[in-house]
Amino acid sequence: MPELSTSLPPEDRLVLLPKNPGTFFAFWQFSASRAESFRLASFAPEIELRLFYAEDKTPASSHKAEWQAGRAYLPVPERGGNCEAALYALRNGAWERLLASNQAAAPAAAGMAEDRAYASLEFHKKVLS
Amino acid sequence: MSSRGSLMFLLHAHLPYVNHPEDSAFLEENWFFEAVVETYVPLISVLERLAAEGIRPGVTISISPTLGAMMENEALEDKLGLYVGSRLELLEKELERAQNEPALLKTVKLYQKLYGDAAGLLHKYSGDLITPLKALQHAGQIEIIITSATHAVLPLLTRPEAIRAQLAAAAEDYEDRFNRKPSGFWLPECAYEPRLNSYLKLSGFNYTFTESHAVDSAPNGVYSPYRTSNGVGLFARDAASSREVWSSQTGYPGDPAYREFYRDLGYDGDYEYLRPYFGQDGIRRPLGLKYHCITGSGTDLSAKQYYDPDAALARVEAHASDFLAKRLKQTEDHYAARGSGPLIVSCYDAELFGHWWFEGPAFLEAVIRKIRAERLPLQFVTPSEYLNSCQEPQEIAPGISSWGENGYFDPWVNESNDFIYPAVYAATDKMIETANRFRNQDLSLLSARALNQAARETLLSQSSDWAFLIYIGSHAEYAKGRLEAHAANAIRLLGEVIEKRVDEQALAVLEKRNNVFPRLDFRVFSSTSKF
Repeated sequence: MPELSTSLPPEDRLVLLPKNPGTFFAFWQFSASRAESFRLASFAPEIELRLFYAEDKTPASSHKAEWQAGRAYLPVPERGGNCEAALYALRNGAWERLLASNQAAAPAAAGMAEDRAYASLEFHKKVLS
Repeated sequence: MSSRGSLMFLLHAHLPYVNHPEDSAFLEENWFFEAVVETYVPLISVLERLAAEGIRPGVTISISPTLGAMMENEALEDKLGLYVGSRLELLEKELERAQNEPALLKTVKLYQKLYGDAAGLLHKYSGDLITPLKALQHAGQIEIIITSATHAVLPLLTRPEAIRAQLAAAAEDYEDRFNRKPSGFWLPECAYEPRLNSYLKLSGFNYTFTESHAVDSAPNGVYSPYRTSNGVGLFARDAASSREVWSSQTGYPGDPAYREFYRDLGYDGDYEYLRPYFGQDGIRRPLGLKYHCITGSGTDLSAKQYYDPDAALARVEAHASDFLAKRLKQTEDHYAARGSGPLIVSCYDAELFGHWWFEGPAFLEAVIRKIRAERLPLQFVTPSEYLNSCQEPQEIAPGISSWGENGYFDPWVNESNDFIYPAVYAATDKMIETANRFRNQDLSLLSARALNQAARETLLSQSSDWAFLIYIGSHAEYAKGRLEAHAANAIRLLGEVIEKRVDEQALAVLEKRNNVFPRLDFRVFSSTSKF
């Protein structure tokens, strides 16, 4: 899996991005102290990414990931629309909310597939090569 | 004959900012040189020729701020002059080499004219291609619009400050370059989401464009303009007319008579003979001299036949007629069903015309001439003209979309390139935080310079091009390096300002290399930006 060649400042961050009608992309980073807590096993290594519907904050879905993975693709919940994510970690048997994301809107599936042809120059570059 | 339908032809011209003054022959700078010779000069020549004959082209051109900056960069202009000069020198030798091969000689002469025309136009405008475009717009022949500062896919920027900065820097850049406020905004990659409406309105833009499936539920499909709830005009791309040009299966550019893009003298010719025209590294590279035609869709590169310019031009005429016949059919069908003429919005990357599809500028010219010569009931219109003359557009709520593969954001967010976003967001968040911290402070000139350069680096890190190049595996290492360098530069400069230890020498190097947006004020990133 490709990675950055340089390290980034250790900061708490959880970002949720739209990808397509079926998928969100989430990535996260931790501050030095939080990362240390994971390393020292104060937090369990498996985290939970929970999606909520932004309009009423009701839970939509939950997904497990390793704390060091740093990124994950999440299925868009059934109702679609605006969602936000939160990252939870387990400490002493209790889930703690560590990070909260921005709101992201899932696209609604629309149009005929053939009408969603890739139109930018790079498509040409790719398919004709 | 009066028109029954309107055609809006939009060409989106964009290249990522590539400027390496430290290197005399940097490979990726050739993207700009090739596009100038094959696309921008031929298109400007077509537009000027039509205008001189009293045929108003009426096309719309979006010029990205990064491309505009390259067109005005004197160091790049000098290198461009050398590039064109070296090709003309090589073509003199090629004329000799092709003397006994009439089929090849014809194409060598064609290239000699192409590069000669480029040299002539560059000389006429002292190397500055903005000047003729500005004059064409001033004369009402074309309309020029803008896109975001560094071609960021705006729905992938979650911070409002980042979107505002991309729009504000672009609007200011346009005003500096074209001496008027921009009216239209091309969403990079046609990527739309409703959150953008307010930013477009606040930045003073009157209209934008969306992909066709963004208006699926609209009453008149893609054949009318619409408006958002806050009054931003919307034009939707017509998929049918786009497909005829873009499609890899059925599009015109795949015609066997047209020039083959991937076979290049740089890979075909004798190494020692061509060595002076490669870079300092001596590695073979494309030289932009392509002597073969597509021949057939499955034909191996080695089996391609020589290009015949006359045969290709005959196909251009046929394709222009076919394109117009299909637009007339669309128009008649719409008229029969609704009793009103449709607006057909055809949007393309400008670099398709000439660079990728060598015959593209001739196709555009033929289409415009045929409407006049054959008195077809179609007219070319620009977006501002259309909005000024049509009834108040209906309000709609377009869907989230892009013109990328599958219609959403897959090309810019996938497992090959998703690793870049932590770096982009680290730079962006730090930039916003630092802009807020210093926005009301009296700053030394050096600190202000460092903050302004950090803002440039942040904008450059957000360009859609890096994610895309990594995705398609073309110049991927360069793209990754650029993205990482811009993000790291921004973070380092901001840290230096906070710690009051700005390295002036290093700052000056960045100011020289990444010298877009000369008037950029870092406060454009602040949460209560005045911009």
